[in-house]
Amino acid sequence: MKKRIISLLLAITVMAGTVFSGCGSDTSAATDPNTIVIWHDKEDAVAEVLQEKLNTLNPEITVVLEKKSDLTESLKMVGNDPKSAPDMYIFAHDKIGVYAEMGILSPITDIIPEDELSVYMDETLDAATYKGEIYQLPIYYETLLFMYNRLYMKDDEVPTTTEELYTYMTENTAGGHYGFVEQHSTPYYAAGWINGFGGEILDADGNATLDSQAVIDALTYHKKFVDLMPGETEYATVNTLFSSGMAHATIAGPWMIPTVKENGMDVGVAAMPVIDETGTPIAPYMGVQGVQVLKNAAENKSEAVEKVLRVLMDPQVEVDLAEASGCAPANESCYELDEIKNDEVVMMMRQTADHAVPMPNLPEMDVMWTVLGNLLTDVNLSGNDITESVSDAQSQAESLIQSMQ
Amino acid sequence: MKNKKKLQVLKCYSWAAPCLLLILMIVIFPILYTGYISVTNMNVYHWSDFSFIGLKNYADALLVFDNGFLKSFGMTVIWTVVSMVLQLIIAFVLASLLNVKGLRFKNVYKTFLIFPWAMPGYVSILLWKTGMFNSQFGLLNQWMQKLGLDPVRWLSSDGSAFWCCTLVNLWLALPFMITIIDGALQSIDRSFYESAVLDGANWFERTFYITVPMIKPIIGPSVVITVFTTFKQFDVIYLLTQQVGAKTGADIHTIMTYAYENAFITNNYGYSSAVSIIIFAILIIFSVVVNMNPKEVRD
Amino acid sequence: MYKKAKRSFGLLILNLFFIALCFATLVPILYALSVSLNANNSLLSVDFSFIPKEFTLANYKAVFFDEPILLWLKNSLILAVVTLVISLGTGIPAAYVFSRKTFPGRKPILRTLILLYAFPSLLSMTALYKLLSPMGLINTKPGLIIVYTGTEAVFALWNMKGYFDTIPYEIEEAAMIDGASPVQIVWKIVMPLAKPTIAVTAMMVLIYVWNEYIFAVNFMTGSDTYTLAAGLYSLQATEMSGNWPIFAAASIVVSIPILIVFFLLQKNMTTGLTSGGVKG
Repeated sequence: MKKRIISLLLAITVMAGTVFSGCGSDTSAATDPNTIVIWHDKEDAVAEVLQEKLNTLNPEITVVLEKKSDLTESLKMVGNDPKSAPDMYIFAHDKIGVYAEMGILSPITDIIPEDELSVYMDETLDAATYKGEIYQLPIYYETLLFMYNRLYMKDDEVPTTTEELYTYMTENTAGGHYGFVEQHSTPYYAAGWINGFGGEILDADGNATLDSQAVIDALTYHKKFVDLMPGETEYATVNTLFSSGMAHATIAGPWMIPTVKENGMDVGVAAMPVIDETGTPIAPYMGVQGVQVLKNAAENKSEAVEKVLRVLMDPQVEVDLAEASGCAPANESCYELDEIKNDEVVMMMRQTADHAVPMPNLPEMDVMWTVLGNLLTDVNLSGNDITESVSDAQSQAESLIQSMQ
Repeated sequence: MKNKKKLQVLKCYSWAAPCLLLILMIVIFPILYTGYISVTNMNVYHWSDFSFIGLKNYADALLVFDNGFLKSFGMTVIWTVVSMVLQLIIAFVLASLLNVKGLRFKNVYKTFLIFPWAMPGYVSILLWKTGMFNSQFGLLNQWMQKLGLDPVRWLSSDGSAFWCCTLVNLWLALPFMITIIDGALQSIDRSFYESAVLDGANWFERTFYITVPMIKPIIGPSVVITVFTTFKQFDVIYLLTQQVGAKTGADIHTIMTYAYENAFITNNYGYSSAVSIIIFAILIIFSVVVNMNPKEVRD
Repeated sequence: MYKKAKRSFGLLILNLFFIALCFATLVPILYALSVSLNANNSLLSVDFSFIPKEFTLANYKAVFFDEPILLWLKNSLILAVVTLVISLGTGIPAAYVFSRKTFPGRKPILRTLILLYAFPSLLSMTALYKLLSPMGLINTKPGLIIVYTGTEAVFALWNMKGYFDTIPYEIEEAAMIDGASPVQIVWKIVMPLAKPTIAVTAMMVLIYVWNEYIFAVNFMTGSDTYTLAAGLYSLQATEMSGNWPIFAAASIVVSIPILIVFFLLQKNMTTGLTSGGVKG
């Protein structure tokens, strides 16, 4: 009997031994000065283009692109720990403030001289600037776009103002069909309306600014559009309504275009409708995607890091990305190339970018997403009083920002 | 003699040591560590250079425990009670029926009934949310329309969202409960029933005088653990109704979703640790008050 | 004769009831199955039917060939087996002494352990990271195994102890008189009698490891170290790149091994004490 137990124990030890020994290997990449690990959360088409370009550094430098879900949360945990942290990562600019304050980011100008960055559009550099330092090498940017299904909405029917849009919606919304849908109560999408009214969610000093008249006006005006849209605000519903032809038009991100085209839709993109009351178009947030370098990598692997960044600064990378996945190049010079000029979607984003607002990159924005989301659902879905909801949201935001300190 | 006793105690602890050591590391250490963080100012602005700031976080944390918190606490209690009562009754009935003599496909039924357990929770919740409850495409509304009824926004009013969450929670939790109760039923000596039948006891009498008292100590720990899990349930309610960017308009919060929206999103670890410790304390006091301690058979 | 007919009629009703119930339980899963087999590229459709209109296996092909699912499967298997062995290996002796012996500290320990379950687990991740990181266990399987066994240890201990309590002590006493060592008693007498609870505990641990993704995503960097659940999670983590049909197919694939194990374990769950045994 004892023998059997002993052999069992032995088996466990052996098994445990194999497990323990089989795992030490992947930490070596972290200390190898010629291996650069880049985390990202991008679609495969983007990752493939980047990987291919970065492979040109082989065999001198090996670049490993790793798709990481929950990238932002993971970084908070491992950012200080060179053994587990990546060397850089590709993400939107809006978390720069958080990581810069945490002290895990290195300004990009420590590696690439600032004057070399002037090739990028001013908006993309502004988005990357936190407390006077540039923390991100821009690659491409994205804004929401007005899209329509040509099967239902002819090119000359495309509304140029929000009132025209409203008329179109009242005429075409019935029996499960919608004239227009958007993620009406999702902060990222609703922000376009607030910005279009001249409202702001967070000011440059990190104060919540929800209780302005502009925000109240925007929510009040937006509400009548919401009433003609479905009760769900999440991506799956809105996306499916549009892509299955149940909704004629939508405001959505460029990443949706490849999917609907694949489904055989003749999709058109148009400029954002002008809000009648203010004379400015709906002004969506702009997200700048770029590379951010971790402090540890900047200090210990600066040569390899610089080489990788230089590869990514090649305008051709951006042109290829535009072709692969409709990414709008951050490098100004790309817009003189024919490939880009002929790309309807990219050029429309370039046009939208003129009045788009870069997402705030302050750490305070983290709590604003939740507060604004609550405010939007209170107003749009629960039907609460707007002025009251706004002042509740403002005080909640203030106390949350207070408790960040 | 004394030495022998000491040796005996030592022997007992040495048998339990590996298990207790693991618990010490994975369960107790995080609690102590959270307690430590809660008296520092570890936040975005003092990520690695945090310092001791005493009980300041606790003073701030008390702000979270306002009316909204009380409401969500009440809600959590109702949620836990409703879920647990339904879970126990349904699981007990089903497990008993599964043990009816002569039920040939018992194992097949059981395997299907526990299928929900075999899927990662977030997958199931997403399936329910988009596949079942969605007001545009959900199966429920497609069925409603076939019956000639108006589509319903299942998740947008408080009452119906509460029942939808309860339903999903039941769907997720019943497989475990059925398995536990079924296992416990197996342990009951058949001869008890035989003599009870001879004494002329009917099904209800047998259930309440034999089955329930016999399985109580066996399922006790699992039930208590499930009560705690239900109490601090986050995923079901958060993913179904409160997810940022996909809120449905229902205003149902348990203490966990409430604490999440009012403390955890601030990225202030000191502050949210203090909130956690306070919630932990409330739960412990609560469970002592309602005397939630599994009874042991051996005493 | 009449009684027999009534009985089989009752059984028929019961069978019908369970068939209906199983179907009701499986609706969301059948939904996923149908989505995964449907050639139209959408989770949502306006006119849904359980039998796809355009049948395809492309999504399953994609799961097996485009995603490193076999690698994830291997990772999950290793983690599950090792965690299971360690959980039972540490849990059974502990449950045994807590059930059978009296020693100072026994009761307070038992009570405290169960109360510790009340701690909100949302925050334990950072703490665990701080614990494992200096030991070099981040990004390694042993690290995850320690986390998993520790998390399940309280449950394993309490659950098995509760069942051990119901096993009559007399049999063991008899064996002890015959000169059996404590190890022999546990191995030869207690374990066979406690099969149902060991099976349930094993199930619980297995399913936990199989479905856990938060630790797996955060403590393991790189998709080649992902477990099935973590890989599945990453498949649809971002809304822009999420592919529902493939995700649906993958979630079906992930559940199958657990179902098989469960079906196999069922036999063990029904071998409890039968009539005639000594009852305390």
